[in-house]
Parts: sequence; C-alpha cells; structure tokens
Amino acid sequence: MRIYAIFVYLFLYIPIGIIALFSFNAGRHASQLQGLSTQWYGKALSNPFVMDALETSLIVAFVSAICASVFGTMAAVALQGIRGPIRVVFDLLIYVAVMIPGIVIGIATLIGLVTLFDQLNPLVASLWPTDAPPKFSMGYGSLIAAHTLFTMSLVIIIIRARLAGMDRALTEASSDLYATPLGTFRQVTLPLILPAILAGFLLSFTFSFDDFIIAFFVAGSETTLPIYVFSSIRRGVTPEINAIGTMVLAVSLVLLITAQLLLRNGKSRT
Amino acid sequence: MTKNNDTISKRKFMEELYRYKRGSVTRRHFLGVTGLGTATAVLAGAMPALRPRRAFAQGDIGDRVVLATWPNYHDPANFDAFTEATGAHVQVNVFGSNEEMLAKLQAGGSGWDVFVPTNYTITTYVGEDLIEALDSSLMPNYDPAAYDPRFSDAGSVDGTLYAVPKNWGTTGYAVNTNHLDGREMTTWKDFWDITMDAYSGRTMVHDYQLTTIGNALKYFGYSFNSVDPNELAEAEKLLLDAKPHLFAISSDYQPPMLNGDAWLTMCWTGDGKQLNTDMPEIAYVLGKEGGEIWSDYYAVPKGAPHRDAAYALINFLLAPEVNAKEVLAHGYPSADANTNALLPEELLNDPILYPAQELLDALEFGAAATLTDPNRAELLARFKSA
Amino acid sequence: MTQRGRNLVLLAPAGAWFLVMLVVPLTVVLIFSFGERGAAGGYVPAFTLDQYANLPARWTAFKNTLILAPVGTLAALLIAYPLAYFLAVRADPKWKTLLLVLVIVPFWTSILIRSYAWIFILGGRGIPALLDWIGIGGVRLINTPFSVLVGIAYGYLPLMVFPIFVNLDRLDKRLLEASSDLGAPPWRTFLQVTLPMSLPGVATGCLLVFILLMGEFLIPALLGGGKVFFVGNALVDLFLQSRNWAFGSAVAATLVAIMLVTVTAYMRLIRRLGAQREDVSLM
Repeated sequence: MRIYAIFVYLFLYIPIGIIALFSFNAGRHASQLQGLSTQWYGKALSNPFVMDALETSLIVAFVSAICASVFGTMAAVALQGIRGPIRVVFDLLIYVAVMIPGIVIGIATLIGLVTLFDQLNPLVASLWPTDAPPKFSMGYGSLIAAHTLFTMSLVIIIIRARLAGMDRALTEASSDLYATPLGTFRQVTLPLILPAILAGFLLSFTFSFDDFIIAFFVAGSETTLPIYVFSSIRRGVTPEINAIGTMVLAVSLVLLITAQLLLRNGKSRT
Repeated sequence: MTKNNDTISKRKFMEELYRYKRGSVTRRHFLGVTGLGTATAVLAGAMPALRPRRAFAQGDIGDRVVLATWPNYHDPANFDAFTEATGAHVQVNVFGSNEEMLAKLQAGGSGWDVFVPTNYTITTYVGEDLIEALDSSLMPNYDPAAYDPRFSDAGSVDGTLYAVPKNWGTTGYAVNTNHLDGREMTTWKDFWDITMDAYSGRTMVHDYQLTTIGNALKYFGYSFNSVDPNELAEAEKLLLDAKPHLFAISSDYQPPMLNGDAWLTMCWTGDGKQLNTDMPEIAYVLGKEGGEIWSDYYAVPKGAPHRDAAYALINFLLAPEVNAKEVLAHGYPSADANTNALLPEELLNDPILYPAQELLDALEFGAAATLTDPNRAELLARFKSA
Repeated sequence: MTQRGRNLVLLAPAGAWFLVMLVVPLTVVLIFSFGERGAAGGYVPAFTLDQYANLPARWTAFKNTLILAPVGTLAALLIAYPLAYFLAVRADPKWKTLLLVLVIVPFWTSILIRSYAWIFILGGRGIPALLDWIGIGGVRLINTPFSVLVGIAYGYLPLMVFPIFVNLDRLDKRLLEASSDLGAPPWRTFLQVTLPMSLPGVATGCLLVFILLMGEFLIPALLGGGKVFFVGNALVDLFLQSRNWAFGSAVAATLVAIMLVTVTAYMRLIRRLGAQREDVSLM
C-alpha cells in the first residue's frame, strides 16, 4: 500500500521536478540542460508581460471569486426560502452552468457578447452626448463575468449542501426570539456557513487563476498568465516558463504553509 | 569593385534584378554588377542603417508592443536591442496559419500592434476592414525601390500601402536523410509515398490548410491553389490515407525533428535552414511538381493599441543592419537589396534560401480565394478530426 | 419588505448573471447553429439544418471524446482510489494533512506547463530512450491515445482523490474493526463495508472528471499532436481556424445536448443505487 502511494507521488512529482530542474537551465532550450543558472528567474521577473499577465490573473481571480462568493451566498440563502417555479428555474440554471464544459462557456460567451456588443455599441454611440462614446469590448469584464458564472454556481451548490445539513430549528428559534432576519443571518446562519463560503472562495480563486480554456476565448486583448504560458509554449519554450511555473508553485506553497501555521496558532490560543 | 558598380542607378539595378530573376544572368553576376555581393563594413556604413536611431529618439512610444508572427521567425537579440533603444518590450505571439490570425482579428480585440500576414491574405484583410493603411513617412527605413517587386507588390492594394515586406520563401519539406537508405527524395509524390511506407509514424504536416492541402494536391499534379471540388476530393482521400501514418499535425515541427521523433516534415525555407544548420543530416527539398512560394509582410491591424510603437518596431526591423541579423538568425531570404548587401556571400548562394531556377519556376503564390474558400477550410478540419 | 421580496432581491444578482452570461449566450449559440458561414468566415443569418446535417463530419471527434472521457475517468479512478484509501485509512494521522496537500500542489502549476513536462517525458528523449537503453527499441509514446490518457489521468488525479478521500475519511473506523473482529478477511471488509461506503465520493469524483473531460482540449492538443482529436479540439478549430461560427455552434449545441442526457442519466442511476443501498441498510 505504502509502496503504491510512493509510486503515485512519484508520478505526480517527476514532471514537477523536471519543470523546476529546467528552470535553472543556463541554455535557451527547455529540454536540454546546459549548466545551471538563475538567469531565467531574473528574466521572468523583469519581463513586463509576465508581470502584467500575473496582475491580470490575480485581479480577475480575486474579483470573480468575491463576486462568486457574495452573489452565490445570497442566492443560496434565498433559495432556502423559495418554492415554486422560480426555484425550479434556478435549480435548472445552476445544473446547466456546472455541467456545461468550459469550452462551450468560452465559445458561447464569445459569440454571445460579440453579438450583444455589436447591437449595443451603435445604440450607445447614438445616445452619447460627446464624440467619444464608451465602447463595449471583450476584456476584464467578460473574463470576470465568464469565470463568475461557473464559480458562482459552485458556491451555491457548496453552501446549499451546508445549509441542508443545518438544523432549521436554530433559525426558527432565532426569529421566535424576535431577531431581525438580518440579525438571524449574522448571528446564526453566517457563522455556520462561513467554512463553506471560504471553501467556495478558495475554489473559485483557484479555478479562475488556472483557467485557460474560457479565458482563451473571452479575454479579448487581455493576457492572463495561462494565456501567456500557452503562447510561449507555441513559440518554443524557454526556461522562462519553467521559472514562472516554479515561482507560482513556491509562492502558493509558502502561502499554504503560512495559512496552516496561522490556523494552528489561532486554535492553540482559544 | 569599380566605381561604376558603386553608383549603379536604381533603374539599372532593377533591370539587373529582372535579368537575374528571369535566369538570364547568374546570381554571382547579379551580385557583382549591382555591388550587392560585397558585404563589407564600408557599404554598411554608407547604407541608411544608422537612420533608425533618429527615428526612435523622437517621442515616447510607450513600454510595450505586441507582435503576432510565425514560429522561429526572428532573432530574439534584435528584440532585446529594440527594448534597449526604445524602452518598449516586445511580446511575441506565434501562429501556425493565416487562418488563425484572421480568426483572431475577426473576433475583435486581438490586442496586436504588428502582425505578419502572407501575401495572398492582404486583400481579404482590406476587404474586411481589419488592416490599417500604412504611413510610410513613419518608416524611414522602408526603401521601396530596394525591394524585389515580386515580393513587395502584394503589400499595396489599389495603390494604398497596407503592408511592407518581411521575408520571402518557399514551402518544401525537411527530411532526415539518415533513414533514407539511399532513396532519393525530390518530389511531393516521394513525400506522401514514403510517409505511408518507410517513414510511417515519422512525418509531420502543417496545421495549415494552404500548404497541407496544397501539397497533397501536388501529388496529383494539380494547382497548389485548386478549389475544384473533384481535385480537392482526391487530395482529401490522400490526406485521410496518410493520416494514420503521421507523427503529428502541427506547424511547430522543429522540436520533434531535432529530438529524432519526426524524420520528415513540411517545412518553410528558414526552418529548413535552421534544421540543416543544427543537424546537417536534415535536408531541405522542394518538390519538383511545384508548391508554394510566398512573401510575408509587416502590417498594423485596425485599432492597434500601441500604434507608435508598432511603427517604431517595423521601422527598426526593416533597418538593413537589423534585417541582416534577422536573416542570419532565421534563414529566410529578404527581398531587400540593402539588407542582402550586408549578408555573407555563402548565405546568398545557399541553395536552401535560393533554390535553383527550375525549381522556383514551378512554384505558385497562394491565391486569395484559397484563404476564404469554405471547402478548403472544412476539408482540413475534417482531416484533423478524422 | 416581505420575506419573499427579500429573497427575490437576494436572488437578483445571480439571476441577472445567469441571464446575461448563460441564457443569452446559449440562445445565441442555438440561433447561430441554424445559420450559415459568412464568405470570409463568421456567421450570416439563415434558417437551415445544414449545420446539423454536417455533424457526421465530426463523428470521430465525438467518438474519441465519448470513448476517452469515460476511459480517462476510469483510469483516474483506478489510480486515485487506492491512494485515497491509503490517505484516509492507512496513513499516519500526523502526516495525513501534508500528504493530502501534496496531492493538490501539482494542481497549482498550470496544466499547460505540466503537460509540457510530459511531452518531454514521453518524447523520443524520455521514456523511449530509456527503454531503448535496456534493449526495448522502437517504442513510440507521444502523440498516441496512450499519451493523451496519461495526461488526462495525471491532470485530473487530484479532482478524483479528494471526494473519495473525504468520504473514506468520514467512515467510522470502528466499522472496519468490527468487521475484522467478526472474522471477515480484509478483502471482504473492503468489498462489503469500505467500498459501498465510499461510493458517493466515487460518484462525485467521476462526475467532476467526466464533465471536464467532455470539454477537454488542451491535453489532446499538447500530447496528441493534433491527431487525437476531441470535440473540444474540433470546436477550437471551427472558431479559431476555419471561422465557421454556424457549424461550430451546431457542434457546441450537440455537445451540450449529449452532456445533458448522459449526466442526467448518470445522476438518476446514482440516485437509484443510493436509494437501493438505503433500503438494504434499513433492513
């Protein structure tokens, strides 16, 4: 059993090891080791396109994760108290949003929004008082919106699972004691579903940060990190890409370990 | 070199160029008469090579420029030099087919500042209103008279300049001769036959309808540009028969050729030169039946976000001293006489860059109709998903 | 405000999102799928069933997807289950969290970079060179269905490990002890106690991986050499190469329809199995 586990971990980590190893390559090629150097780390960090792509990815992931958690939580809580056709429609929409492959979301968003903008832009231009009307185009907005569609549905599902396991008597007791609905939410519901919201937020962030397929179609002229990596791979990989991958990995590991330590400290204090 | 050669007039130069292209004089004669064969520092100094500096000095062009181009088509050191000279970093996006570039521009918001379309696509870009008319005063390094018109004509549509020539070349195939066992490869028929025989599992074709379908058409001796349904049907049958024997369908063929996974691939001039330099056993072959001759251009898409930087980059890359470095790095010939004047003679006599006249004569330029022909597009997509 | 009014306000943002980002785009796809390709590409309005009639031209892509998605899911399951079992039941509790985290960590480097590492490992200078060295020559791995399968199993392993682990971890270990105390050999304990208890996790993991695989495009593109084609690849091709938005929409609509049918059928099946098991446990 243990030997099997070791094999699976090797399977998981040999490619990672190769990526990290070649990130220290002195040569230009990503598959021929020609001495060791850290030059590619410097190159990656001083390349404004890499930094820009990283910034875009972080902004998109953060904003879409916030939208997904807030709107998803609101919807999940509201759906608890709703019966009838509205609930049926929402259940169906959530089901479809989660089930549709990312590539179809990307394509549908692309042609849907391009068509929508083609109708809207002349309309806005004709109504706008000055000569320079705002123009809708694909970019941050479409990226965040498309990511949020999928992640918001995930958040709703996660929170509803949590709410379903919750004792209804608690909220009923709270309102029997004349707590306002908002008070009940803050004092009773929120603490109970907070872990689920956090999990949903993290999941949303991770999904958005790593997504390539949807972004590939809807990013317009923006470049996220996965899009940058994809176009670099096509023009022949230099170890710069390996350096980026290794850095992202290292930073996430550090964050994770810090979070773990903080959590442990917090627990021991209480 | 005589004084007479030094001061050869533009008119005389063009005459000589045409004579050379007609094949009535040898390359050596042409280069000698026009004075282009002397790639010396003297000439380099006299050439307008120093002009770019002045152009960059004026104004701030921003800190970035986005270039959509083809694989293995630039000298990375030149981009570094551009960044050093102007402060603008160059982001290179690589595409494997003109269709891919067109699709990206049609969907809107490509974010590109400069792209590299091939001769036969430019009229379509103009028709679709996706390309900017160029202001040649912003590109002082562009010297139209120095270019062979055969490779610069397509840049102008109805008298308006839309694109300036980058490089020209041919589409042939690169073959690793180590596994040939004495066989001779000279035709596209050889290419497809050996793919389905001794080289099974080792051949790559482009992910690009023009060349993959065109060179399959050549098997039967049809035009590279054919849109005739019956001829296309025959080409499709050949492609489908060959598919199980292919290593990959991809325009990025250098890595597998170099690591030995692939032995044979459709190939463009410069990649052929690069492969041959890295591994001398890889030969570049032009099919006797013909195939493609092409010319690529620099162009600016409508709505380019960094227009000033776009012009600065094009102007920089067109400077003969820079262009010559590009040619040395990528091995695609330039149609610019000023650039060629700076290149070593052995490169100007290289049979990969400058194939024999009878091989060149059989080649065709791509036709605008093939780019937009729905049947050819669908044929390639069917072939790939088969 | 009434309770109902409040709930509707809370639902409004999500509702608007679904409308603009899901209902409108899917409707556009559906409309486009009855249109025609423009002369230079794109879409021209029309009402024709031509695009659907042309679907057999992508039959192989659908076939590859419908074979490799379930097979890939199964491969990921076969690798993931023993690992999840080890982590939940056998691993030292002290190390459990760390070992679990180590399963997700590779997930944080882009799938693109990880797949690129596999191009190297499966390519001529990787495993085939090693095999050649020990005397097994002529092995080709890259650009085959096998390499795509390896990429899939690798890429989706964490997604499979997690739900199964969570399920097994919640399992009351006293049940296992009780079973062996009653003289059941380990394999019977596993078959009669562990496995049935972990089925919901297995079902969740399989569903997740299957859904993602049905739309997969990157792994076949990178590890299949453009030869092992999924529907996802056909779609990318139609939109980003041949610019046939009408036919692309028809393929996308068909893919969605197939997913609706298979996933709904799968969920029914799981629910029925779940119900049966509850009956058994009630008895």
